[in-house]
Amino acid sequence: MIGLGRTFLRLAALQASWTYERMQGIGIAVAMEPLLAPLADNIERARAARARSAQYFNAHPFLAGAAVGALAQAELDGEPGERILRLRTALSGPLGALGDQLFWAGIVPAAMGLAMLGVTQGYGLGVIALTVLGYNALRIVVTAWGLRVGLAHGLRVAHAISESWLPKAAPRAGDVAAVLIGAAVPMVAAWLLRGSGEPVRATVLVVAGAVALGVLTLRRPLSAPRLTVGAAALTLLWRWSAA
Amino acid sequence: MSDFPLFSLMVWGTVVGLDLASMLQGLFNRPLVAGAVAGVILNDPMAGLRIGLALELFALDVLPVGASRYPDYGAATVAAVALSAGQAWTAALGPAVLLGLVLAHFGGLTIVLHRRVTAWALARAETALDRGDPGVAPKIHLAGLVADLLRSAALAAIGLLAAALLKHAPQLDVATQRALAIVVVAGGFVAVIGGALRRAGSPRRMVWLAGGMALGVLGLGLR
Repeated sequence: MIGLGRTFLRLAALQASWTYERMQGIGIAVAMEPLLAPLADNIERARAARARSAQYFNAHPFLAGAAVGALAQAELDGEPGERILRLRTALSGPLGALGDQLFWAGIVPAAMGLAMLGVTQGYGLGVIALTVLGYNALRIVVTAWGLRVGLAHGLRVAHAISESWLPKAAPRAGDVAAVLIGAAVPMVAAWLLRGSGEPVRATVLVVAGAVALGVLTLRRPLSAPRLTVGAAALTLLWRWSAA
Repeated sequence: MSDFPLFSLMVWGTVVGLDLASMLQGLFNRPLVAGAVAGVILNDPMAGLRIGLALELFALDVLPVGASRYPDYGAATVAAVALSAGQAWTAALGPAVLLGLVLAHFGGLTIVLHRRVTAWALARAETALDRGDPGVAPKIHLAGLVADLLRSAALAAIGLLAAALLKHAPQLDVATQRALAIVVVAGGFVAVIGGALRRAGSPRRMVWLAGGMALGVLGLGLR
């Protein structure tokens, strides 16, 4: 139980040693270490398990607990090393894709869209604090769930995840994010431009122009920060030349 | 040198830098959150909310997946809020957001550097790691964590230094301030709308996005 708690805490810093060579591999090894403690009496098995645990791996960090739990359970069950390495490879893609869809393309933009709406409605710091608290509570619950599912199902973890709530929830999160970001756009435009003393006409022009540019460049995306810095530089040149 | 609580801002800038990828990833690195707390530290929460919100529009275009390179908006936002605090909104928006964008891009370069430093530590210990020697992985992990701590602290220091220098620069005239404010807000909306459209992918999701925008317009009309 103490080992499980230590693994859970280590999962919070999974990506501290991320590299292009092994990606999250080292972080996975560090998180798995407490769960492999029962192998300590068998030096050869422990060495082999440690070496395997640090191989290449990449998934969404919040769902990597499922891989950590499953791989550790497979090691404790004495599964052949080749099967464990195959499981590692097999889990990487799906856990990455599901997590990216659920969190990076769903819950994170949804949370920020909600917070932006709250700020424009005058709830300021309170709505931001609630968003951060709610998000982190969810992140903790999902990480703990993944770890528990991994430990319970071992080599059969992929099937357990495919039968769970996760594949259904991931696309829904994106739908919610689209609505919240969409709703936030005109509200934020009005809030930012009114704050700087610009008339409503400017707000409408800015949003309409951005939508048009976004649609026109859908296939060949622009770098908005570079575009902005470039446009600002031209603005400064124009103003200084006019002065 | 500076007119702001340097130590608190340094600590916060470092914390949000670590939150980007190495630890927790609990939204603290998001510009809106990093900016709000920086605003509180500077005793100007509204500046924190406004600059944080403006930079959040750009950050929403970023999908930090896999091995992709992405900007680091955390410390950049802290520095941008430090620049804007205590200034009139119109005067502060353009220069502060531009400073944030440049620093975020620079922060993205430091992430690549951090990964290379960790890879160097990994290469030195690769044989022992593949042998399954005890304690090797935690040492590499700790090295990566310390390197990111130093990266984040350095980024925060550079950002705050830039903000302190710019704070004492001559003010722009009102027309230039307004023009810059419109440029950065428009750029933010190009980022957030472009990002939302690309993330939507399917026509069905685009309908959700359009529906959300219609709700937002309706909400504005009702106010």
